[in-house]
Amino acid sequence: MNTVEEILDFAIDREQQAADFYSNLAERVSSAWMKDMLLGFSKEEMRHKGKLKSVKLGDKLLNADQHVQDLKIADYTVDVEPAEDISLQDALIVAMKREKAAYRLYSDMAANIDDPELKSLFLGLAQEEAKHKLYFEVQYDEQIMRDN
Amino acid sequence: MSLKDLISPFYVWQRAFEKPYTQKRPIEDRPGAPRYRGFHMNSEECIGCGTCESICQNHAIDMVPVEGLEQRAGDSGLRPRFDYGRCCWCALCVDICTTRSLHLSNHYAWVTEDPDAFHFTAGTDAMPWNQNSLGYRRDDDYHLLVHDRVEMQALSAEESVAGFDEVMRGYTEEEAVLEADRCVECGICVATCPAHMAIPDYIRTVRKGDYEAGLRLLYETNPFSSTCGRICTHRCETVCVMGYQGDPIAIRWLKRAIVDRVPQEKYREILGDEVEENGKTVGVIGAGPGGMSAAYYLRRQGYAVTVYEAQARAGGMLRYGVPSYRLPDNQLDKDLEYIRSLGVEMRFNTQVGRDIPFTQLLDEHDALFLAVGLNQPSALRIAGEEHPRVLSGLRVLDDVASGKDPGVGKRVAVIGGGNVAMDAARVSRRLGAEVDVLYRRRIEDMPADPEEIRESQAEGCTLVPQAIPVEIRNASDSNQVTIVWGEAEMVADDKGGRPRPVLQEDRMHEETYDCIIAAIGQGGQIDFIPAEFRDRIEFKWNKFVPGDYQQTGLEKLFVGGDIANSRADAISAIEDGHHAARGIHRFLSGALDG
Repeated sequence: MNTVEEILDFAIDREQQAADFYSNLAERVSSAWMKDMLLGFSKEEMRHKGKLKSVKLGDKLLNADQHVQDLKIADYTVDVEPAEDISLQDALIVAMKREKAAYRLYSDMAANIDDPELKSLFLGLAQEEAKHKLYFEVQYDEQIMRDN
Repeated sequence: MSLKDLISPFYVWQRAFEKPYTQKRPIEDRPGAPRYRGFHMNSEECIGCGTCESICQNHAIDMVPVEGLEQRAGDSGLRPRFDYGRCCWCALCVDICTTRSLHLSNHYAWVTEDPDAFHFTAGTDAMPWNQNSLGYRRDDDYHLLVHDRVEMQALSAEESVAGFDEVMRGYTEEEAVLEADRCVECGICVATCPAHMAIPDYIRTVRKGDYEAGLRLLYETNPFSSTCGRICTHRCETVCVMGYQGDPIAIRWLKRAIVDRVPQEKYREILGDEVEENGKTVGVIGAGPGGMSAAYYLRRQGYAVTVYEAQARAGGMLRYGVPSYRLPDNQLDKDLEYIRSLGVEMRFNTQVGRDIPFTQLLDEHDALFLAVGLNQPSALRIAGEEHPRVLSGLRVLDDVASGKDPGVGKRVAVIGGGNVAMDAARVSRRLGAEVDVLYRRRIEDMPADPEEIRESQAEGCTLVPQAIPVEIRNASDSNQVTIVWGEAEMVADDKGGRPRPVLQEDRMHEETYDCIIAAIGQGGQIDFIPAEFRDRIEFKWNKFVPGDYQQTGLEKLFVGGDIANSRADAISAIEDGHHAARGIHRFLSGALDG
């Protein structure tokens, strides 16, 4: 990936993969309730994809210097399997951790590239993923750890 | 007649050209005394309680709507309008004002040719004296209202932890009357009570000693009055106007004062509940407060009601999640047995989805009300959680309610800050343990009732705020367990939510306990609803989103209680049940469409 276009295509493809992941999981789960939830996650990823597409057309990503709060919940929760009987709690953990992995990926790519334009792009993508992770962490905080 | 007599009347004309002897505007530049009782002023502290209107002997005050001011929790949205054709400036309205928003300015001149002008809404209409800093204000040490609550007798902390006896002992008749006497009957509390109970009216029955009338008023909106008289979250008291300058009225305890004085055997006779069968059947899923409230009001309408309950007894979280020192079994049973006495059929040990299919209930009944509650504890989902000495708070409370020893040991860490956590902690104290309560946020953020927090501390539980559990480890003694937790920094939520805790990895702690009780939250279990109905039922996160009258898009299905509201307390579930019963009646009588 040597051009802005290629990097954005890569990121768009990743969002599509994430959306497919949730919609495929939604097909497998037995609970109607969770099915709705996972389809909602899938739609959220498609919304992210749409945003990246608009960046390709000239919109701006988050500024690489903008602070996005890290609640670190994804750091201390355990990995869980996206099984057919997945609960809301586990689905949120899966989502947090996927966003965290994407954040790491783009951060690492930014660290290993010298071109300032591409570095800034990777950092912007990392910030977007950090924002997505924060969304799921806040939901975990509100919906699951209501009494904590 | 002399010439002088003839011309003397004309002498008066010479006066026409003299300067007047009277002052043209005699009251100008004569200010009132500093504490003069002049025209009324009202500040933004006013919440429209109407106590001024009630006390006015001349009926000079009317509470009126004000443009741009909406009714909200704790504010009627009305403001006092004064009629200066009636006012005698006695200032009783100022003396009684519960928020001290009402004053008198020392302005006393209002000149107009319009005889209908002397009406105005103080604090809202632009009047020349609105910024006046002088005039009559009530002295700090002069009170028409009694600000101190009549405290209820309670066991001392030492007596409390010695067993499971009810901590709060109830009002004597005299105490109840004294407390009821403090109420100004403004009714601000009614809108805030989820069930909109007739609070000022039933408090009045306490004052009169007419407990039978009180019971009838309670049952108009709440068939769990003995229970709510003990453990209600009493949102009403948070907006009580008496709380502005003193203690809010002990509304919850006054409800209990009524129920404590009426034996259950007399309920039927007093309430006059007669059931005329209407030939239709309603199934209720869940025998908690929501389900049994619906059962009561549906039965009164003549519906044949069958309640399906997974547990062996009715009550839901009230029985299995609230310890007897807060709600004795016999008091919960007093409420439940009366509801059952109307002919509600109970099917215990019947879990829908496992023992009976949901679709069968849908076919067998004309309508269904589902109120299964939140009974699935959230897992910690941190490393080592599967350790055998990690217990669930709900399980501990369930064991204690069922007469089993949960085996917590002598040193316990409870994780969480809700009522389940507080009760797990207090139960553990009663079982002889030293208890630390680890909570991720600050004490003021705890969702538990303030009384629960205070009482748990009084009973010796140690609250450890801003503590985030990150790992469970084996202890050197296999009967113990070690928890690793880190300190939290609170960060503001950009969207206005409660502050959020963030782990500080450089400030970690390790502690060993006999057990760890996890009580971080609960979710619901509604997997028994078949996928074929998914498109017709709206969910948001882990809750149902009901429409009008608690009805779902699956027309025969109504939902309520913790699984369908955000408040997750008994009184809200009770109201959901009542509301759904009205909705089901309208639905089955054709007044409410699907």
